[in-house]
Amino acid sequence: MIVTANRLRSIGWVVLLALCGAVVLALSFRVNALRSQVHRAEQRIVALKQEKMYLETEFETRANQQQLKSWNDIEFGYVAPTAGQYLENERQLASLSKPADPDAPAPIRVASADDSVIASAAFPTMVSPLTGKSAQAEEAIAQTDAPAAHVDHATATAALGERLGTVGRPRAAEGATPAAKKKAAKTANGKSVDKGGSAKSSASRSASAAGKPRTGTPHKEGRISR
Amino acid sequence: MNALTASAAIASGRVQLANVRQSALLTAKKRALFILLAFVFLTATALMRVVQIGLFEGSPDRRSMADALVPERGEITDRNGVALARAFPSYSLWYNPKAFGEKGGSPLVKTPEEVARALVQIFPDADYDDLVRRLKSDKPSYLRKRVLPEEANHVFALGEPALEFPRENQRYYPQGSLAANVLGFVDLAGKGHVGMEQVLEPRLLDPAQRANPVALSIDARAQGALEDELGRGMLESNAKGAAGIILDVDTGEVIALASLPSFNPNRSDRVFNGLVFNRVSNQVYELGSTFKPITVAAAIDAGVITDLSVRYPTGPLNIGGFTIHDSHNFGPSLNVPEALVHSSNIVTAQIADKLGGPALRRTMMQLGMNERPTIELPARGFPLWPRGTDAKGDWARITTMTVSYGHGIAVTPLHLASAYAALVNGGIWRPATLYKVDPARVPPGRRVFKASTSARIRQLLRMIVVDGTGRKADASGFRVGGKTGSAEKPGAGGYRRTSLVATFAAAFPMDKPRYVVIAMLDEPQGTVATSGQRTSAWNAAPIVGRVVPRIGPLLGVVPDASRDVDITDLSPLVANGDGE
Repeated sequence: MIVTANRLRSIGWVVLLALCGAVVLALSFRVNALRSQVHRAEQRIVALKQEKMYLETEFETRANQQQLKSWNDIEFGYVAPTAGQYLENERQLASLSKPADPDAPAPIRVASADDSVIASAAFPTMVSPLTGKSAQAEEAIAQTDAPAAHVDHATATAALGERLGTVGRPRAAEGATPAAKKKAAKTANGKSVDKGGSAKSSASRSASAAGKPRTGTPHKEGRISR
Repeated sequence: MNALTASAAIASGRVQLANVRQSALLTAKKRALFILLAFVFLTATALMRVVQIGLFEGSPDRRSMADALVPERGEITDRNGVALARAFPSYSLWYNPKAFGEKGGSPLVKTPEEVARALVQIFPDADYDDLVRRLKSDKPSYLRKRVLPEEANHVFALGEPALEFPRENQRYYPQGSLAANVLGFVDLAGKGHVGMEQVLEPRLLDPAQRANPVALSIDARAQGALEDELGRGMLESNAKGAAGIILDVDTGEVIALASLPSFNPNRSDRVFNGLVFNRVSNQVYELGSTFKPITVAAAIDAGVITDLSVRYPTGPLNIGGFTIHDSHNFGPSLNVPEALVHSSNIVTAQIADKLGGPALRRTMMQLGMNERPTIELPARGFPLWPRGTDAKGDWARITTMTVSYGHGIAVTPLHLASAYAALVNGGIWRPATLYKVDPARVPPGRRVFKASTSARIRQLLRMIVVDGTGRKADASGFRVGGKTGSAEKPGAGGYRRTSLVATFAAAFPMDKPRYVVIAMLDEPQGTVATSGQRTSAWNAAPIVGRVVPRIGPLLGVVPDASRDVDITDLSPLVANGDGE
């Protein structure tokens, strides 16, 4: 019985040893597998980094200074920015939008828009494919039914140019407003006219509705009243 | 024996028992020992393995990865990290006659002539006869260095095993000929020549340092702009060569350095001496009138000129049989600002005469005009420094006078750039360098002029550009100041009237100078583009006028038309006019 117990114990040790050995073996296999994975990853990193370097070098070669210069000479024609294109500080930026002094001689034009060109640019008359009448005549008919917002493009463009091109002086604007209102009201056949864009659009609408050649008066007054 | 047998027979029962016990014990001991030994062996093996893993494995892998990414020769970049030179593994075309083995028989599948003809079709610039000769010889050799991958594919399609494509690390310059004179080149044997490739060779090949790129002071964008405009100026004036330099006045860093005609360092096999020659650091020229501000500065500094409105006569000066002339007649007398604006040799000579030879000589020496220029480049020209008449080396009176307007002394354009930096930066001369300088470690330099003198010279240089000969350099908003110089080149039997060296030495912005720009043309001709003139005002000054707007914003100088150096105290002294 004792021998059996002893033998059993020794068999137990052997089994334990074998088990440990197996675990160690499995572990070392796993470690080796991981290690070779790491190695492969490293190799891949090296290869990718080299590939990146090739591509970078190729890009730098294709976009080298002399190449860019010859493209610029032939294709783009970019030149160095001039002094006028730089703003040193916020103060310089603010000075661009500064309103004119109360007693400044005339409105200062900060961006030039040639109104005469826009005004004289005749838009081709649109002819309705159904009725064969001109679009203006069509609209004149439609106008009676739907007096919804409609803008004469030529007038509006010119008016926009005027608006962008001019900085109104507060005092001058105040002074002009009553007269402008009066005149605008007159042209608009007694319609009540308020300030700004609505004055322009309604004035021009009335002009086009009447089928008369457009005069400069309505939107000009509109500008001043702004 | 019998007795033993008898006793054994008697005691056989007990003896047998004793024997069994003994042998069992022995067996048990043997087994214990065996197991012990096995455990010791296992432990020892495990320990050894631990030691082996701990000491030898793991680390070699890591090092090999780092090694794979370290270039064989370190990279050179500009000050912003743009690669100027890098090690680049590219294919070569290698002919290996032993590809089929050692034994006899043709190494090629087709005839050498056929293969050579096919190769010429792939590489149109290849030499057919040379290829045939190489393919017929039984020595291995390079048929071509630097083969593009697609070209390699074409060659591979020929199906010749003797044509191999080893991938080799070569030196590659992505920017082509940009800054070629600064960089130099690497020959086929891997040795650096001419420029920083030669200077930095130990550093670039050092295994400990070559992983980190070397940053030069060059700015690739400014370098490109300078080369463009110099090249254009050279074509327009039909000049033999051109040189230019942009120098940071406060640190001495060379932002751009160009010498034309240049070379392509990628084709080191085609680089030859004429193109490698660096006109900025190696060639000495008499730079003419650009020296006048230096003379005037020395005179103001020494207290010789205290009143700028004092007028000097402008009649031809006769000194010991030598007559000093001006290019034009500017009236009977000129004051100092007028003399600079009109570039009068006669007045400058008189100022130098009042200042005296030793003082002018000392100033020139403080500006480093008597030694090779201070820069890292290996090729540095030694100035032609006028010989003295006595043991101390003092100059003769006429020498002092000619040096004052830049004749009788020949220096490199780099000398002039460093001197102008000292003129405008508050009076401190610093050595020029091609290494990027840490702003905290700017070399102290040495004081040559007083700060007040420098301020005065800034006004005078600005006046020359506003009112005088440098008008074509006046880039709007950049407050350029500078001085023209058109010196006749010495030839056999005196100066040659038609061979000039036209220089424009400038600095900007004059209210707080940041950069010196020098443009120089070697033997410019009068062409339609330069209005038939060959003097500096018509060819070198416009170059500076075009370079400055291109580089200014890149280098942090914002153009501002509302700002300038105040010259109101000097402008009443000058009547507008032209000079040389």
